[in-house]
Amino acid sequence: MNGVISNGFESWLAAPPGQLAGAGLDWLDDQRRVARERVREQGVPTSKTEDWRYTSLKGLLEQNFAQVDEAITALQPDDLEDILIPGLDSHRVVLVNGRYAPELSVLGDLPKGVRLGGLRTLLDADPDALRDRLNRIAGDRQPLFLALNTAGLDDGFVALFDRAAILERPIELIHLSVGMDEPRVAQPRHLVVLGDGAQATLIERYVSLGESLYCTNSVLEIALGRDAVLQHDRIQMESANAFHLTGLYLSQDTNSRYRGVNIGLGARWARTELVTRFRGEQAECDLQGLYLAGDRQLMDYHLDVAHSVPRCTSRENFKGILYGKGRAVFDGLVAVARDAQKSDAAMSNRNLMLSESAEVDTKPQLEINADDVKCSHGTTVGRIEPEMLFYLRSRGISAPLARRMLCLGFAGEIIQTLSAEALREHVSERVGQRLESAPLN
Amino acid sequence: MTSATAVDDIVGSEYEHGFTTEIASETFPPGLDEGVVRAISARKGEPEFMTEWRLKAYRHWLTMPEPAWAAVHYPKIDFQSISYFSAPKRPEDMPKSLDEIDPVLLDTYNKLGIPLEEQKALAGIAVDAVFDSVSVATTFRKSLAEAGVIFCSISEAVHDYPELIQQHLGSVVPHTDNYYAALNAAVYSDGTFVYVPKGVRCPMELSTYFRINARNTGQFERTLIVAEAGSYVSYLEGCTAPQRDENQLHAAVVELIAMDDAEIKYSTVQNWYPGDAQGKGGIYNFVTKRGDCRGARSKISWTQVETGSAITWKYPSCLLRGDDSIGEFYSVAVTKGRQQADTGTKMIHIGKNTSSTIVSKGISAGEGTQTYRGLVRIGPRAEGARNHTQCDSLLIGDRCSANTFPYIEVKHPSANMEHEATTSKISDDQLFYCRSRGLTEEDAVSMIVNGFCKEVFNELPMEFAVEAQKLLSISLEGAVG
Repeated sequence: MNGVISNGFESWLAAPPGQLAGAGLDWLDDQRRVARERVREQGVPTSKTEDWRYTSLKGLLEQNFAQVDEAITALQPDDLEDILIPGLDSHRVVLVNGRYAPELSVLGDLPKGVRLGGLRTLLDADPDALRDRLNRIAGDRQPLFLALNTAGLDDGFVALFDRAAILERPIELIHLSVGMDEPRVAQPRHLVVLGDGAQATLIERYVSLGESLYCTNSVLEIALGRDAVLQHDRIQMESANAFHLTGLYLSQDTNSRYRGVNIGLGARWARTELVTRFRGEQAECDLQGLYLAGDRQLMDYHLDVAHSVPRCTSRENFKGILYGKGRAVFDGLVAVARDAQKSDAAMSNRNLMLSESAEVDTKPQLEINADDVKCSHGTTVGRIEPEMLFYLRSRGISAPLARRMLCLGFAGEIIQTLSAEALREHVSERVGQRLESAPLN
Repeated sequence: MTSATAVDDIVGSEYEHGFTTEIASETFPPGLDEGVVRAISARKGEPEFMTEWRLKAYRHWLTMPEPAWAAVHYPKIDFQSISYFSAPKRPEDMPKSLDEIDPVLLDTYNKLGIPLEEQKALAGIAVDAVFDSVSVATTFRKSLAEAGVIFCSISEAVHDYPELIQQHLGSVVPHTDNYYAALNAAVYSDGTFVYVPKGVRCPMELSTYFRINARNTGQFERTLIVAEAGSYVSYLEGCTAPQRDENQLHAAVVELIAMDDAEIKYSTVQNWYPGDAQGKGGIYNFVTKRGDCRGARSKISWTQVETGSAITWKYPSCLLRGDDSIGEFYSVAVTKGRQQADTGTKMIHIGKNTSSTIVSKGISAGEGTQTYRGLVRIGPRAEGARNHTQCDSLLIGDRCSANTFPYIEVKHPSANMEHEATTSKISDDQLFYCRSRGLTEEDAVSMIVNGFCKEVFNELPMEFAVEAQKLLSISLEGAVG
């Protein structure tokens, strides 16, 4: 089997010219080597693989993406004008095709105890700061796309917060993709570590210049210390032709708080994996999600929340709007370990179908091994209630506008959990635009 | 609270129906090959088409891998160590009336609480009692015949109604369906056949009691129920099994066919031997049950109360092919000791305006493991499909597990699909409330658990509902949250 497997992703593994970041560091070279082996020894997932039951890799494999092998340096700060969100005041970190672009980034004044920047830069300057942190949270399991990312680990974004460090303004991480001569895959690797009591807001955005074809396979590891608080907004607006894969691996210590808002609007094929591990009691994890799957678009979400210690709380609330031949997959797992008493988990996935040929496959799962827990999940799939439409139309609102209003109302619950007003407006506007162009029936 | 000791009490409670009847059986030596399949067929004097069908299934079974996806754990089954045929002695001398029945057998039924002599007096239930593999007693055949209803063992049906068998057997669960269905098709020993003609409302509730008896004998029952247009039938299935040391395989297949406007109600109380406190010796219950709502406005309803078996692996399903057809699944499953249950349902919406309801209640105690695994699929032409699913788990003790794995696939926008699941324990508040009103802890628990299951018990025929409640309270004696 090995031969077949490697073929599909061999081009992702090809080493770029020059040296990978931190080459010569034994621990890092080892991690990359092990990951490379993991890629080669595991098969390409098929519909028989439980995690890929509803998601086909065929389209992705047909593309034969090559690794990004050169940094784009021709961009000027002015080129970002259309991308920046008016009124959003942030510490800005820009990556172009997966590479840290210092000339476009505006880090601003950082308080003591906060380090932001490119992974490669930090690996050169202070590798010991990363040694025991990189690739620790994602763990040994290394599913295919995580292993691919680790095997090619070269650049990305790093935020290190010392104990009690607090950043008032949000960090804005912009993944900018620019079309190249042939389709390329960028595999940025990010690390966010918040020490005990540290607090931050991270806004992670995926955007593109033009509607080109490319692939992003990003991995983000987040470690929250005791009492740390992180608000994390992720807004995926990749090019309409892009493939988007992202894995988020989260580790939470005692009494830490994480709130993640996942907005998925772009890409023709997008898969998001969110993996949460509680390391200490009384931690809270709140995952919100909104996705729009338009014609021939696939939005695929996989949640894996493990309550391995007692007294933690998790919320998973995902909503989707589908039209045209849009497809959505929601596969959520909440697992409560033996003795993880007083765990509290609630998972919900609600879908609004606007067209005849849309499809939703949803699989909210619970694995409970302790008795004193509060766990629930709920799922709905439905269309806009005719009564609601009638109500609005009877008040003189046209049918298309009424539908849009109802959809925006449905989406609003998630949008309002975003951290900044400017961001909420930006997302609402884009959702509105998408719905306006949607062939509603 | 005394939950730890209470749970120990449950685990320690002896299996009430654990006794073995001493009857000499004519049993094939263990092992399975084409010769055995042919021999079973020959012993039963089956026509050529049946032998061929069995062989086809056997050959297909050889090509299939043993399924491993269910969340259950057990030592690998050695299919060559199982005997595939056992019949009570004197098969040529099948009893014609109650008088001819072996008194030891009758005594067994009495111990099980099914006094055949009193059947007629009992609330209109005809019993086709299956003792091991060959049906030995059938009652009420005549009054059913007057209504035109055929109710007989499947071996008899193969002889007497070969065209009906040829037409319907395997049409809902083909021999290629899954590993255990293929095995069953190859070696099925006996079972029940029910045929309700057009427009007939079956005058009584039909019932079969199964009982595994001879040691080391896999039981491979096959049930086929056909309800023609506009007919109605309610079928009751219940099982108990005597205590023994080795695990026993039970791989049954049940096929239901409902034509236009027909309704089939299938109720099960399953109380096979669950194994001892170490989980040793219980029954492996790997069952394929599927109903086909073939006609418009047809309805199939599954109700099950699962308290026994070491391992339960079954998913009574409905294919909603006819427009406006209805599928229902009501289930209570109890696992205690080391019992494992992986159960649920599939509702496949194909026709227009089809609707389905799933209510699943799982109770896990001791070191029991419980998994709800279900599929709701709303096909691209299933306009106006509706589904409501409710899965609740009740955990008693901190060593048990409850999993919920629902699969929901929706391909039509007019679908109205709702799924809810909760996991909880008996709360101290609830207990305190009941106890402050003078109830003992045990009664309070029993009351709360019965309340938890009420939605399902309400669907059972009256006689079964009584038995089910009794079973439940025996199962959970002394359990405190």
